[in-house]
Amino acid sequence: MMLFGDEGQELLKDATIFIAGAGGLGSPVAVYLAVLGVGTIILADNDTVERTNLNRQILHGERDIGRRKSVSAGDRLEALNPDITVKAIDATIDATTVHSLTDTADGIVDALDNYPTRYLLNRIAIEKDIPLFHGGISGFFGQATTIIPGETPCLRCIFPHPPPREVFPVAGVTAGFIGMVQATEVCKYLLCKGELLANRLLLWDGMQARVEEIAIEKDPSCEDCAGRAPPEH
Amino acid sequence: MKVKLRFFARFGELLGNSLCIEGREGMSVAGLVREAAAGNKAGYDAIFDETGAFRNFVIVMRNKKRIRSQDADLIYISEGDEIAVFPPVAGG
Repeated sequence: MMLFGDEGQELLKDATIFIAGAGGLGSPVAVYLAVLGVGTIILADNDTVERTNLNRQILHGERDIGRRKSVSAGDRLEALNPDITVKAIDATIDATTVHSLTDTADGIVDALDNYPTRYLLNRIAIEKDIPLFHGGISGFFGQATTIIPGETPCLRCIFPHPPPREVFPVAGVTAGFIGMVQATEVCKYLLCKGELLANRLLLWDGMQARVEEIAIEKDPSCEDCAGRAPPEH
Repeated sequence: MKVKLRFFARFGELLGNSLCIEGREGMSVAGLVREAAAGNKAGYDAIFDETGAFRNFVIVMRNKKRIRSQDADLIYISEGDEIAVFPPVAGG
């Protein structure tokens, strides 16, 4: 692609990105990273496609209802770009699987729907010293930030306590909006271009059509990273 | 003194997205939010616990800088302040 040049396209081709979840956020992120040419996409989900998913989970369609999301997502991504490697895995992301799922990843995309598993990914990102591209959505609201271990606050610094578990409907367009922020961040990170959404939390209010950002800071008392400094390379 | 109070996400749905409030001298950030939410039980309960303290996941900003919610009773509003209160959103 002219925008990135051969060198940029090679960087994307050599990269491995782990996408945690093939739902609302995972769908647009995976679709765009696939057509962007990210060489290896590892995607994990433990769910089955339901009709109610189809307003936002664009990896899946009417004929996928009842199929495992991992299978449906794998088929869709391979159809979009047969030149990349897609490892779509039917798995629950937990303490027993997270290491093997992220083993070869250069970055992790948070496309989850709960904070306990997000905290798990946060700790793995810190341990592996790789970025975590965070996104969260509810209704017409969304948030996103890019976490670079040692350089930015970690997810636990920003959200030390999880909100209560509640089920809120999500507008598909919100997943698209926040998913595109995440995919753009992955792209810039892999190409070493531009300024990342680092040390800033982006807030999107679709109903008010407002994008805001707030400065976020490391928490020296953070139980996951203790506000640690960048690792020495 | 005039203070702008903004609620995001679920809080905004319950309490309104943006309110212009006539604050009083010596009023704390927490006091301002409590007063603004007092007329709406669901909104108040979403933000505050039974002791009147911010729930531990609630994020409070003053003039786009985060303040610790546990300090919000000791931080006082000033003319023109913008206070923002929001929950992390969890869906994905």
